[in-house]
Amino acid sequence: MARDLPPPLAGIRVVDLGWITAGASSSTILLDLGADVIKVEGPGALDPFRTWEGADPRSDWWNHSRHFVFTNRGKRSLCLDLKNPLGRQVLLRLLETADVLVENFRRGVMASLDLAPAMLRRRFPRLVIASISSQGETGPDCEMISYGSTLEAMAGLAALTGAGDAPVISGRHVNYPDQVVCLFASGAIIAALVERDRSGDGAHLDLSQRELTSFLLGEELIAAAAGAPSPRQNNTDPAEPGERLLAEGDGWRVEWPGGTAAVRDGASLCAADEFVRGTAVLRTPDGSPAKGIPFRLATRPLAVEDVCHNLGADNHAVLTKAGFSDGEIKALEEAGAIATAPRPNTG
Amino acid sequence: MPAPLAGRRVLDLGALCSQRPHALAVSMAAKLCRIYGADTVRPLPASGEPFATLPPLRPDGRSSLDIFLNAGKRCGSSVGPFDAAIGDMAALARHAAAVPIKARISVFGPGEDPPMTELGLLALSGLLGIVGDALPAAPARLAGHQAAYAAGLAACTGLLAAVLAGREEVVDVSLLDVTAWLNWKVAADTMATGIAPARGDTTSNWFTVPAKDGHVALVYQDRDWPRLRDLIGDPRLKDQRFGTDHARGTNRAALLAIIGPWFAARTRAEITRAAQEQRVPIGPVMQPTELLKDPQYRARGFFAADGMPVLPVGWNGQRLGGEIADGA
Repeated sequence: MARDLPPPLAGIRVVDLGWITAGASSSTILLDLGADVIKVEGPGALDPFRTWEGADPRSDWWNHSRHFVFTNRGKRSLCLDLKNPLGRQVLLRLLETADVLVENFRRGVMASLDLAPAMLRRRFPRLVIASISSQGETGPDCEMISYGSTLEAMAGLAALTGAGDAPVISGRHVNYPDQVVCLFASGAIIAALVERDRSGDGAHLDLSQRELTSFLLGEELIAAAAGAPSPRQNNTDPAEPGERLLAEGDGWRVEWPGGTAAVRDGASLCAADEFVRGTAVLRTPDGSPAKGIPFRLATRPLAVEDVCHNLGADNHAVLTKAGFSDGEIKALEEAGAIATAPRPNTG
Repeated sequence: MPAPLAGRRVLDLGALCSQRPHALAVSMAAKLCRIYGADTVRPLPASGEPFATLPPLRPDGRSSLDIFLNAGKRCGSSVGPFDAAIGDMAALARHAAAVPIKARISVFGPGEDPPMTELGLLALSGLLGIVGDALPAAPARLAGHQAAYAAGLAACTGLLAAVLAGREEVVDVSLLDVTAWLNWKVAADTMATGIAPARGDTTSNWFTVPAKDGHVALVYQDRDWPRLRDLIGDPRLKDQRFGTDHARGTNRAALLAIIGPWFAARTRAEITRAAQEQRVPIGPVMQPTELLKDPQYRARGFFAADGMPVLPVGWNGQRLGGEIADGA
């Protein structure tokens, strides 16, 4: 098998309007597979991950949020005000040469920016638009406010999870639906690119995090539909009777046929040899830890190839490549359509 | 109807894997390929389909796990031309050496396959230890087959990337890497601060609360608190013990003593409606039987025959795959 080939998504251009995890990390998987990803944020509408740990006014806090930097390493950063008509025109110019648009705004925001997917599909028929949302683009609950753990509850996962009397959600340390959707959404986007190669037509993908969370309990839903009960199994798996969860000292231990392990916390996870050798967390070229890559390829070692760019660091490069002249870029700056810092009171 | 893998043949070696987490991951990845249009062939061992007797079982004795994962796949031989194969290392070496695209599931990485279960993966990845009530309470295992299915999603994504590139490839998916990848926030916070987040710690302000007819998920950010506090309307909530996320976490028992009766006196629907009107992201804990009748899912056509969930993506407004629950 050939080695050191170009990455499989080389030549694919992604415009990333994704926020926090569900949108932004889906784009990061595409980046790791070789796509060129431009992360677009407005000076008054930053990715909320930038303010996750507060906003110290004595610093350029927007460039240092741990979770943001961890997730968005390697993307080019364009700080573009989509509420400014000039900014919207810039985005449309970028989409002329883009293959993928990823967004996970609250439903209705794209339309309010005059960027409704239906319009974009007509204007850019080869574009793959991935709309990742809580409950999907349609239906009576499509505008419901939720975080990932709200959706765990509404998807059936919480009802079946828990070691005691109460159902359990994964909570803010995990927010499970936000994490797992990235593995599925990135695949669906690539599937749409494969389909485009067949048909010549792009797609609008309507991805519901709640639906995915239920889908991953599919066997329970089929059983329930046939009239079987849906008991909470606590920490057991009826198919694995040899598993045990045992109290041990101040913590817990798991035993299974052929193996045993302490239930790890973050410290023991990060110190574990398999974790250090693995791909869940990798290092940027400057040695900083960064979100890793959930697979390896034989034809090319996948790596985190770049650090996280500062907000708007790539404004000039991205716009020049898109055909804007220096004078046009200067005009955009003067009109406040592009920036390198948030507007006051953002965050 | 879009079918990106139409005309391609995928070999599903899930029934020939030596360990169950691998088998579940492989079977999920192959299921996705089938829905994306591939002719998916699943060779069986002489003993038959290994999932056929696994829970959950329907009242008629059939395994709904088997139905969910294998509907629409064809039983058949591994002999013949295939575009892609999915399996563990041994099954791929034996049955798919000449297949150009392979997705290979392992525990820790290629060739590292010690005996493992999903509970073991959750423990090793930290994803077991971070969910549930604070120590000394037991942690809570996420229901179902989350560790294996997530690896199946990752395997399918890597396989599709190889198809797009049009070249030979081996996509290696480590069950532990994927499960730890899902738990990245714990790793990131530990590496940055030297302090490991703990389940039920003072920042863990999201949990379920009893309602009149079940539970709701109490989920909110600090900025949502004033609206939630005013919705409940108890003046004691203005006490400084509840003024910040950290304070509410520290005083969780006192907080619950005040807000608990408000939730207990209302149905899940009443609580959700009131919270949503204030843009607070509280939602009901729903049972599988309730989901089957859920208006949102019905409006979006999420269930096919016999409770089979369709692929959770609308593709230009269409659903893919033509799910048939009894088609295995």
